[in-house]
Amino acid sequence: METEVKETQGKIFSAENPGITAPTDWQPVIMGILCNWCSYAGSDLTGTSRIQYPPNIRIIRVPCSSRVDPWFIIKSLQTTADGVLISGCHPGDCHYISGNYYARRRFLVTKKLLNFIGYHENRIQFSWVSAAEGPKFAKVVAKVTEDIKKLGPLHRYKKENF
Amino acid sequence: MDYSKKIQEIASKLFADNKINYFVGYKQNSFDDSQVPFLITDPAEIPKLVFTDRSVFNLANYLKPDHTKRKRVGLVVKGCDSRALNLMLTESQVKRENIYIIGICCEGVLNEKGEKAQNCVECVMPDPVVYDEMIGSPTGKREYTINADIRELATKALEERADYFESIFENCIRCNACRHSCPLCYCAKCCIDQETSTLYHGANTSSGAMHALMTWSLHLAGRCVDCRNCEKACPSHLPLHLLHKQNESVIYENFQQHLAGMEKDDRGAFYKYSLSDPDDFIL
Repeated sequence: METEVKETQGKIFSAENPGITAPTDWQPVIMGILCNWCSYAGSDLTGTSRIQYPPNIRIIRVPCSSRVDPWFIIKSLQTTADGVLISGCHPGDCHYISGNYYARRRFLVTKKLLNFIGYHENRIQFSWVSAAEGPKFAKVVAKVTEDIKKLGPLHRYKKENF
Repeated sequence: MDYSKKIQEIASKLFADNKINYFVGYKQNSFDDSQVPFLITDPAEIPKLVFTDRSVFNLANYLKPDHTKRKRVGLVVKGCDSRALNLMLTESQVKRENIYIIGICCEGVLNEKGEKAQNCVECVMPDPVVYDEMIGSPTGKREYTINADIRELATKALEERADYFESIFENCIRCNACRHSCPLCYCAKCCIDQETSTLYHGANTSSGAMHALMTWSLHLAGRCVDCRNCEKACPSHLPLHLLHKQNESVIYENFQQHLAGMEKDDRGAFYKYSLSDPDDFIL
């Protein structure tokens, strides 16, 4: 079945059909994991303020940045994502008082370990965005998207037949 | 380093006083000069107990099942093993009153080639941190050095490192011996066993192994005591210590020189925080 589809695609996008070109304009997929109390509200403010930011980010809402298991990052990179952005409250502003301090330790170790086994450090990014920082969220997403566009699609350790 | 006689004496005394139901030690292997873990319930078997620089395994692993809830156990621990045991006690996996610990001031054990093992060369704590009876003379805490393999790999380019690790993960046969041999992997239901779950991809590929080993090593980050039981158990001879030593070096450098299991009631680096933790990698 798969081979058939590939063959058909090969016929469509070939020299015989010069009018049709294969989609070459690759766009990265970025997994955005945002904390409910600051960053998610911040991204909402970005939208309501009509500030443009790249649509490459796919947002997941979590209760706190310490809810983010390193497993989420590994799983995202293994399946569809080319990069991961995790965002939470500024230190001292956590809704659960100290959640982001615990998260900060975990993020550092996870980032260093994934970099150690061969992921570029720009593929796993973290940010602190408060509920009032709509423009900052747009800037962060633009920066992360640009970084990952420079690195290109992620092929390393990808799950086959996903 | 031959403490066989002393251990036999202590074990026979413990059995005579009815202090323990069984004893965990080492026995000479029948076909070469290596040793195997040895569980005794009968005092008649005590003369088979040995302890030399070939006693490589971490016996704290044999407290993992529910044994110590009903039975009293005596066991032999080296410096690194006692750190693992300390963590097991802190995490309420073992009842302190049910175990009798014979701590050994370790002079380092040998690897398969007969040289001093790498983790013993870089050992930070050769003396037992938790014990009822100590054998040998303590030499105190040593200075932490970053693992030689980690330093070498850190100088390599990203792609080179990635190729190296991909070739390692390809050889993983996903037998989970690393998990079973680890004294700190005691969960009754492990998250990487959920084969039918959509969360977990358990295939025998470098991707599946990456997922499993990353999850495993991050669960042990800040808790691993570098006993290298996992590496000894691995049938594919993967250098699993690389993942743990990498985490350990990051934690030591950034989080107030934290080392796992050194103090009582220290649950690991991820169970506490400091306001001055590094923040420069966050946008």
